Amino acid sequence: MRETVEISLQVNERAQSLRIEPRETLADVLRDRLGLTGTKVSCDAQVCGACTVLVDGRTVSACTFLAVDADGGAVRTVEGLARDGVLTPLQQAFIDEAAFQCGFCTPGMLMAATALLEENPHPTEDEVKEGLDGNLCRCTGYAPIVAAVLRAAETGR
Amino acid sequence: MKRVIERGPAPEPIGISVPRRDGIEKVTGAASFTTDLTLPGLAHARLLRSPYAHARIRSIDAEAARRHPGVIAVVTAADLPGVQLEYGHAVADHPLIATGKVRFAGEVVVGVVAEDAATADEALRLIEVDYDPLPYATTVEEALAPGAPVLHEKAGRQGAHRGFEEDITRDHPNVCSTFRQAWGEIEDAFTGAHLVLEGTWHYPMCYAFAMEPYTSVAEWKDGELTVWSSAQHPYMVRDDLAHVFHLPLSAVRVIVPYVGGGYGSKSYTKIEPLTAALALKAGRPVRLALNVDDAILTTRGDGATVQLRSAFDRDGRLLGRQATVRLDSGAYAENSPLVGRKAANRLGGPYRIPALEVTCQVVYTNTAPASSFRGFGAPQVVFAAESQMDEAAEALGLDPLEVRRRNLVERGERPWPKVRGLDAKIADDLALAAAELDWSTPPAPGVGRAVCVSASDAGSEPVTTATLRVHPDGSVTVLCGSTEIGQGSATALAQIAAGEMGVPLEKVRLVQSDTAAVTYDRSTGASRTTTLMGLAIRNAARDVKAQLLEWARESWAGEDAPEPVLEHAGIRVGDRLAGWGEVVRAWFAGDYGEAIGRGYLRKAGETAEMPPFWEVGCVGVEVRVDESTGEIHVEKLVTIGDVGCAVNPQLAEAQDVGAAIMGLGMAMREELIYEDGNLVNGNLYDYRVPRFTDLPELRTVLVERGDGVGVYGAKGGGEGALNPVASAIANAVRRATGARLREAPFTPERVWEALRERDAANGR
Amino acid sequence: MIPRFAHRRPRSLADAFAAFDAAGGDCAWYAGGTELLAVMKMGFAQFGTLIDLKSVPELGGISADADGALRIGATVTHREIERSPHVLRHLPGLAALEREVANIRVRNTGTLGGNLAFAEPHSDPATFLLACDARVELAGPAGAREMAIDELIVGPLTTSREADELLVAIRVPAPAAGEGRAYAKLAFFERPAASVGVRVRVADGAIADATVAVGSLTDLPIVLPAAGAALAGLPAEPAALDAGLGAAIAVLGEIDAIPDHNGSADYKRHLAGILLGRAVTQAVEEARAHA
Repeated sequence: MRETVEISLQVNERAQSLRIEPRETLADVLRDRLGLTGTKVSCDAQVCGACTVLVDGRTVSACTFLAVDADGGAVRTVEGLARDGVLTPLQQAFIDEAAFQCGFCTPGMLMAATALLEENPHPTEDEVKEGLDGNLCRCTGYAPIVAAVLRAAETGR
Repeated sequence: MKRVIERGPAPEPIGISVPRRDGIEKVTGAASFTTDLTLPGLAHARLLRSPYAHARIRSIDAEAARRHPGVIAVVTAADLPGVQLEYGHAVADHPLIATGKVRFAGEVVVGVVAEDAATADEALRLIEVDYDPLPYATTVEEALAPGAPVLHEKAGRQGAHRGFEEDITRDHPNVCSTFRQAWGEIEDAFTGAHLVLEGTWHYPMCYAFAMEPYTSVAEWKDGELTVWSSAQHPYMVRDDLAHVFHLPLSAVRVIVPYVGGGYGSKSYTKIEPLTAALALKAGRPVRLALNVDDAILTTRGDGATVQLRSAFDRDGRLLGRQATVRLDSGAYAENSPLVGRKAANRLGGPYRIPALEVTCQVVYTNTAPASSFRGFGAPQVVFAAESQMDEAAEALGLDPLEVRRRNLVERGERPWPKVRGLDAKIADDLALAAAELDWSTPPAPGVGRAVCVSASDAGSEPVTTATLRVHPDGSVTVLCGSTEIGQGSATALAQIAAGEMGVPLEKVRLVQSDTAAVTYDRSTGASRTTTLMGLAIRNAARDVKAQLLEWARESWAGEDAPEPVLEHAGIRVGDRLAGWGEVVRAWFAGDYGEAIGRGYLRKAGETAEMPPFWEVGCVGVEVRVDESTGEIHVEKLVTIGDVGCAVNPQLAEAQDVGAAIMGLGMAMREELIYEDGNLVNGNLYDYRVPRFTDLPELRTVLVERGDGVGVYGAKGGGEGALNPVASAIANAVRRATGARLREAPFTPERVWEALRERDAANGR
Repeated sequence: MIPRFAHRRPRSLADAFAAFDAAGGDCAWYAGGTELLAVMKMGFAQFGTLIDLKSVPELGGISADADGALRIGATVTHREIERSPHVLRHLPGLAALEREVANIRVRNTGTLGGNLAFAEPHSDPATFLLACDARVELAGPAGAREMAIDELIVGPLTTSREADELLVAIRVPAPAAGEGRAYAKLAFFERPAASVGVRVRVADGAIADATVAVGSLTDLPIVLPAAGAALAGLPAEPAALDAGLGAAIAVLGEIDAIPDHNGSADYKRHLAGILLGRAVTQAVEEARAHA
């Protein structure tokens, strides 16, 4: 009998109660149990940031964060950004600046940038680059992402 | 972004930076990739890989794995008797699972299908494979040495694919293929030349790192196969699957959702046949999802050694270029024979060269297989060729841009016999790059600048089709086989359809990359999509408009009826304009039906000459070197995107920026390293791709002279800006420090060593 | 995939040891899990039970005494250290170092205790704390003990911690008058190619004594007493200091460095020399401010 454990957590402000195996990562639970496939797994080694989600306001690599460690916590994913179909200024800025191409890094990038702007609403260009340095993008060459974050900072996150 | 527009007008929304159509999906996490797909009854596969670089498989004991609870099937080559195991675009030498021996560390030996991936992983640990290790060769030198271990005792079926007409010559058992590009009298060129320069350059094997690793889902139903895959060429994959499983093409369906990055690394067939084989044995739909570490072992870019000598007259004019290129192609041919052919073509450069001889050997080694990758042979050879142009300038006391100007082929001139004339004014592009770098003002001490150029015979084969449907309300659906790999085809192609039909963009729907729902496209790669699929869409629009004109004549014929006239957005009948929808409704006598336009494209007419277009690369850099550590700081990066007509300027610029930064990665840090038969840095800790903090100051210029074969003079982009990056940085470092770098990537240690060599040579 | 395991979350040290005992030793402690879960995923380790230490209050918190001696709980994250007012005030070199560890997500979850217990050969904190004469508190079912960093870390991925012991806290001595502590590294890939941690005490305008630790050259961070000795007597003034570093750099030049993907032995030694200059300059600056 495989050991399971019950966890209760908020995901995008919705209460969730699940019975899971302890080995399941937050990415596993979000993607496979809750159908929130916006969060992507790429390197699976905490380097690339594609799996970035927020747990109690901190960015974490969902690929290597045990879901049991989110028990009692509040998780935010890309699906929780837009409200009633209204994009956040950051999401809109990504579209306006074409800050994505294949889109695979985008959910993680948006969560990382959301956390950055929540902490530092008016970053300089260097602060944006330093702050997002832990998220990789292979398509855009980064320049339009920087432009999008600065633009969102102007229009109000 | 600057735009230089010297072409005629194009109908909107062509030429407008409309927002990406996949934007909302991608910023809300709703965009579906193959990794997100789920099906009822989906089972999960994991793979057991060889730890040996070269070995015979003596036996495989998978009994305990088969009995492990939750395991559905365990598959080896022996379990697939009815299946044609070998596939391969140019040479069919690649078994979908190891047969009798393994040829690289990481080759797949066993596949396990289970209820979930963790169970499959547990089962893998219960499998025992008995190997008989063999001597191995992990470098081209080792593979070509006398008595070298032979990877392929018998050659795979050659000319395996459509359009690959090369006669592949093997002059050594470990040579997969050899190409020779030659014209003129090469020995004469060197006899009596004023200046002969010789050198050897090394370009690394690299990893494309598409952030979505290879993933496939396969399902069999009543002998028909459906495969979803993160693939660039659904039709190529379909064809290989049909061949492997002895099915008619009509029984195979390949569906490609959004692709999380391709860059050529997802061209042609990869893990699809294996996934389908696992699904066949499991009797359940199967998902095979690789992680990045596995993806690195699936496909990489060819490493290269280029030995180049060039002869110049006293004015810096090229008299001849002679080169031997060796590509490290890995254990299987994959698409490297084609990369080799293109490398041989692209070495000379966009220059007037009276005599040229380039031999490119594509060599098997016991390393992960190499295949298509952005640039496709050009990054490797342009590094050598453009470095040597600067060396010539130095030797002759000339400005490096002046040397290039004296040699550049002009627009309309053929770079070599029988090819399409160059469709670009590279000298003008060069001038634009120079201006962006303020070339005429001497740089500060310790700062170096360079501009390098390239021209690639791009576009692959001009074979494609498109279908354009006009609905009774005048809205349009376009069916096309191109994939959306991030480049923006979903947007740009819709713009072309809207522009050609004179219909608002919101009324155009594009359906892509499902071989059962759309019509044939050869491939999405070689920078061809906007240009060639664009032409097919234009042809489909013309076809449907011709039909609609005929329909209008039929519907509104009459003695005194005015002759219907085709206009941009409808049919003029007397003093009124009938929209397309109205014509459809009239012909079907009701609010139903549709008009179906067919667009064909093949090697005929305007696309008879090869290549369909030339892809230009023009990159400038300004660098500073920290001599104490060897770190190169690329402070400015300039890209000139000579694209003929930018259907969506923002997306065209995006391609140039992405390509140039990727080129920066290969030039500065990226290389795959083998030791003792194993890849030692096949993970993102030790294989470093560019990051936010690597971003230099960027200056991008889009140039549109309407000189391409595509709609309104469009040509392809997306690879050109990568090709000259390594040579530009090497040349700039030379000008800043006097050290010459001939081995990429230019890690700080390599630069430091080169600086010490410089000092030793200067007696310091 | 992480292999299957059972999970326990004790709420006190006593509970933690009881959980270890109940698991029959086939278990591992974890807090952030950034190193442990990564190696489990790669197939290099497997455990019947993982014991989460994040809810054990004795293992958390950062405090400073009046003199500036720091006590950092083992389960404090890199990010908390980076921002801690105590650390910023009394050991800014550590705050600066923590800001550069891995990436922001690893810093948000990874802990100093986890980093030291894992003993990755290139560890930045281990190298710097070695130079600072830091000590580590451990606790086990048999009782508590404490030791220096180089008594804890004895080899690559090897510590003298018993399996049933855990790290409780890291103590860094208060800076003496005129003391400065700084760290410098160079990394061209994910891990550093070379790093140097330095403690100097300045008195009467000169370096009175110093400790030099070097990381990423060998398979664990090392103190070089001869390098520290060679710094003693140097004037605590930038231009003169630079000129006098030769002897100390020469000591670094003797290190039997292990080449790796980040550099050859020669290159690593060369970088260490450059980093020594940077770290000493910064430490002296801090020392002069604390005269």
